[in-house]
Amino acid sequence: MTTAAEERELLLNPVVPENVLHNTKTVTDIRSLTGSLFGVAAGILGLESYWGFIFYLVGSCVVSAFMVALNTGGRPERYFRGKSEIWTTEVVSGSSMAGFILTWTLFFGLLRV
Amino acid sequence: MFTSAKSASIVSISTLLLIHSCYSAYEHSLISIGAKNSLPLDVTIETLVSVFLLCVGIVLNNSQELKPISWSVWSGQLERERGSGPYGYLEERLGFLDIRTKRAEFAKWAESNE
Repeated sequence: MTTAAEERELLLNPVVPENVLHNTKTVTDIRSLTGSLFGVAAGILGLESYWGFIFYLVGSCVVSAFMVALNTGGRPERYFRGKSEIWTTEVVSGSSMAGFILTWTLFFGLLRV
Repeated sequence: MFTSAKSASIVSISTLLLIHSCYSAYEHSLISIGAKNSLPLDVTIETLVSVFLLCVGIVLNNSQELKPISWSVWSGQLERERGSGPYGYLEERLGFLDIRTKRAEFAKWAESNE
């Protein structure tokens, strides 16, 4: 989409910034909680190197599918700026991945070393 | 729709499962020194099931919380639920002041102060 078309779309359908922030914050909360949870699971299962990250990505996809189905009622474009935003927000950047690695290494170390 | 009590019970049950599987993995690591990465199948399944259930519980805990971002949808929802939209204060303004009554009141007050 070009900039002009984007501006036109925003003029026709204005967006509530507080609600966008609120929704993004809800998704971020869920992501950081489930991220550290996947870390605990990966540590218990004893996953190493790439398998841990693959586990994390698969788990994030599952959580995104849950959010689309349960929180947005199958219509993510009603609550987010784009259709793909709920699938990508906070997955590889931010506190979610960091929390995953933190708890992964912690539980791996506690249970195996 | 799921209530918060149901999602809270899902979260607590699956947390217990996760703690149990974690303890099982720890005990297993104590008795099998040297054998690398040989977690029993039931512990693996218990871990995966508990994490899956915990995800469901966490997502359900936060359901009903998202707000629609489009102005038209959002103000329509507010008007249906609360009776007034985001610009409700513009619709509940006073009409005209009764300036003669105000003037009479002021005159009475000014007289009483003299």
